[in-house]
Amino acid sequence: MCLTHTWDNPMQFVLACVSYAVGLGNVWRFPYLCQMHGGGGFLIPYMLMLVLLGVPLFYMELAIGQKMRLGSIGAWRAISPYLGGVGMASVVTSMYLCLYYNVINAWSFWYLFHSFQSVLPWAECPVNSNLTGPVEECERATPTQYFFYRETLDISGSIEENGGIHMGQALCLLLAWIIVYLFIVKGVKSTGKVVYFTATFPYLVLIIYLIRGVTLHGAINGVKYMFTPKMEQLAKPTTWINAATQIFFSLGLGFGSLIAFASYNQYNNNFEKQAIVVSMVNSSTSIFASIVTFSIYGFKATFNYESCLERVRLLLLNTFDLAEDTISLENVNHWIAELNRTHPEQFASLGGRLETCDLEAELDTAVEGTGLAFIVYSEAIKNMPVSQLWSVLYFIMLLLLGMGSMLGNVIAVITPLSDLKFISVLSYLVGLVCLFCLLLGLGFTTRSGNYWFTMFNDYGATFSLLFIVLIEVITVCYIYGIKRFEKDVEDMLGHRLNWYWKIMLAGVSPILLIALFIFYIVNYIQGGTPTYQAWNKELGKSVVTEYPPYAQAFIGLLLASSVCCIPLTALYTYCKKRNLASGKRERTVSTVSA
Amino acid sequence: MRCLRMLVRILVLLYLAGAPALAQTLCQPNASNGYRVRISIKTALGNQAYEWNENEMFLFRATMAFAMRRYYKTETYNVDNIIVCNQTRRVSFWFVVISPENPTMLIPKADVEKAVSMSRHRINNAFLLTDRTLEFLGIYPTLAEPVNPDTPPWLIVFGVVIGAVFAGIIALLVSSLLQKRRKEKGMMEDGQDEEDRQMKGVENGINLDGIYNRGFTDDDRFTKL
Repeated sequence: MCLTHTWDNPMQFVLACVSYAVGLGNVWRFPYLCQMHGGGGFLIPYMLMLVLLGVPLFYMELAIGQKMRLGSIGAWRAISPYLGGVGMASVVTSMYLCLYYNVINAWSFWYLFHSFQSVLPWAECPVNSNLTGPVEECERATPTQYFFYRETLDISGSIEENGGIHMGQALCLLLAWIIVYLFIVKGVKSTGKVVYFTATFPYLVLIIYLIRGVTLHGAINGVKYMFTPKMEQLAKPTTWINAATQIFFSLGLGFGSLIAFASYNQYNNNFEKQAIVVSMVNSSTSIFASIVTFSIYGFKATFNYESCLERVRLLLLNTFDLAEDTISLENVNHWIAELNRTHPEQFASLGGRLETCDLEAELDTAVEGTGLAFIVYSEAIKNMPVSQLWSVLYFIMLLLLGMGSMLGNVIAVITPLSDLKFISVLSYLVGLVCLFCLLLGLGFTTRSGNYWFTMFNDYGATFSLLFIVLIEVITVCYIYGIKRFEKDVEDMLGHRLNWYWKIMLAGVSPILLIALFIFYIVNYIQGGTPTYQAWNKELGKSVVTEYPPYAQAFIGLLLASSVCCIPLTALYTYCKKRNLASGKRERTVSTVSA
Repeated sequence: MRCLRMLVRILVLLYLAGAPALAQTLCQPNASNGYRVRISIKTALGNQAYEWNENEMFLFRATMAFAMRRYYKTETYNVDNIIVCNQTRRVSFWFVVISPENPTMLIPKADVEKAVSMSRHRINNAFLLTDRTLEFLGIYPTLAEPVNPDTPPWLIVFGVVIGAVFAGIIALLVSSLLQKRRKEKGMMEDGQDEEDRQMKGVENGINLDGIYNRGFTDDDRFTKL
C-alpha cells in the first residue's frame, strides 16, 4: 500500500465512515422497525444491541484495517492464510451491493429531475386517450403509486415477463455511475474531499425537514403514535433480533468498506474514540430521521383521514339533499348515526359506497424500503405548499445518503483489487469496475428489473454478511488470538484493550452472532417458498407471488457464491501449502544427491 | 261569426292559462329530457358564499338560454324556455328546455348536453364556480388536453447536470495533463543538477517502495480526533 495514499486528516476518515454508515437504511428501515415493534420501547433493544454487538465489531474492523494497511483480501490473508477467503467473500458481497444499490440513486435522480415542473407528475393522474377521465390503472391505485410503478419503472406483471430497458432509467444510472467514478478516481484524495459534503449536507436537509415536518397539520399524531411505547412488544424475540440485524447492517459491518477506509489511516490514529463516535452518530441519526419520518407520516395519515371524512360528508349531503352547512367534518359520524336512524331504507341504499374513516388504520399502514421513500414520502410532499421545493430538497438528501454509502461500497471493492496489482493505474481500475457494474446494472432497469432488485436486496447481503462477520470474530479472537490482537492495538494506540472490548469481542458478540445466524436459517426454512410482491395493473396493487424455480436457484447461487469463498480458499491454501512442503523436501533431497 | 271569434278567444285564453301548467308537467324529476343540477356554493367560496335565491335562479335560466342560443346560433331562446323544478335545500334542481317555436316540445337530451358542454366555462364563471361545484349530473366535463412539450422537462434538467459532470471530467483530465507536463519539465531541468546533488550527498527524496519502519515511532503517539 503506497504511503502517499492516506487521508489528509483524521476528520476525513471520520466523515467517510459517517457518510458510509448513515445511509438510506437510517431513513427508511429504522422508522419502520420502530413502528412495528412498539414505538419508543424499541429503543431499549436497539441501544442494548448497539453496545453489545455494534460498537465492538466496528472497533474490530477498524483495528484490522489500520493495522494491516491493506484491503479486506490482503488483511485477512495476513491474519490467517487459511481464512483469506473471508476477505474474498466480503468483496463478492460488496460487488453485489454495488450492482444494485446505485439503481436507487438512479431513481432518486429520476424523481429529482421530475420535480422541476409546475405540477408534480405524481400529484395527479394523467388523462386517458379519449380525454374522458384519468387512466384506469391510476384510478385503481393512487397517482404516486402509478408514477412509481408505471412511469418510473414501467414494471411488468411478474419476474418472468422481461421487457426492454427503460431509457430514462438507463440514463439516470449512467449519470449515477459517472458521478461515483468522479468521486473515487483519485483514490482517497478525491473521496476525502467529497465526504465533507456528503456527510454533512443530509443533516442540514433533515433539520429543515424536521422544522417543516413538525409544523405540518397532523404531524403530532404521527410522532405521538411512534413514541407511545408498547412494552409488550419487548417480549417477542423478533423485536430483539430485528434490533440486532438493524444495528449490524446499519453500521455496514462485514462488507470490507470499514477495513478499506481504515487502511488509509496513519498507524497511530486513535480509532477507539472514532469507533464510538461514528456508532453513536449513526444511531442518533436513525432516531432523528424517524422523528422526521413520523411527523410526515402523521401529516399524510391526517390528510387522508380528513379527505375520507370529506368524501363521506359529500356523499351524505348528496344522497339526503341536505343544505351544505348542516354537516361539517367534525359531526360526520354523528350524522351517520342520525341518518341511519331516521331514514333507514335510504341509508341502506348507500351500501358499499359509505367508507369508514379511521386515523389509527391510516397510521398503521407501516411501509418500509423503496415503498416508503418513493411512494409514501412523495405522497406527503405533494400535499405540502411549495411542493416542488420540498421535493427537490428531499431527493437531493436521498441522493447524498445513497452516494455516501456507494463510496464505501465501491472502495471496498477497489482497495483489495488495487492491492493485488492487476492494473497499476488507479483511474483505469476504477473506470473498469464502474463500467462493469454499469453494464450489469442495466439489467435492473428492464421492465422486470425491480423484482430482481428486490431479490438482491433481500438475499444478496443478509445471510452472507452474518456468516462473514461470525468467521471474522472467531478468527480474530481465537485463531489469531486475542492476546496478539491486544498487542497490536497497544502498538497502535499506546494503551491496552479495555475489559469491555475483551469481553464483548471474545464472548458476547460471537454468542449473539451465532444466535442470529441460527435464527436466520430457521426463519428461512420455516418461511417456505420465497415470495415477492408483484404489481398487478388490473387490480392496481401488489400481490404476493412465488418465485419461479430458476429464480429460487438464483437466490441459492447468490447466497452460496459469497459464503463458499471461505471454505474454498481454505482448501486451496491447504493444498498449496502441502505442495510447497513436498516440493521443498524434493529439492533438499536433490541437492544432497548432487 | 261572433260565436266563432268567441270560441277562438276562449280557446286562446284556455291555452294561455294552461301553458304554464303544461310546462310544469313537462319538468319532472327523472324526466327523459331533463338534467339534474347540483350546486355547492359554500364548498367553492367558503366565507364569500352568496345565498341561492330567486335572482340567482333567474341568472341560471338566463345563462342556459344563452348557452342554447350559442349552440343553435339563433336568437330565439329566452328565459321562459328554461323550466326549473324540484328545488331542494342542497341546492339541486331539475331543468328542461322547451323549444321556442313549439312550447310543448322539449329539446332532446343530447342537444342540451352539447350546448352545455360548449358553454360550460362561461356558465361556471357566471356563478364563480367550477366543474366540480356546479355539477350537471350526466354531463361529464371534458378534461383539458394534456400539454405535451417537445422535450420532456426532466430531460432538460438531466442535460444540464450531465453537462456539468462532463465539464468536471474534462477539467480533471486537463489538470492531470498539466501536472504531468509540469513534472516532466521539472525533471528535465533537474537531470543536469542530479550529478551535482549526488556529490553533495543530498538524498533523492522519499523512497516510495519501502515498508513503514516501526522502529522509528514518533513521540506524539495519538492523532487527535
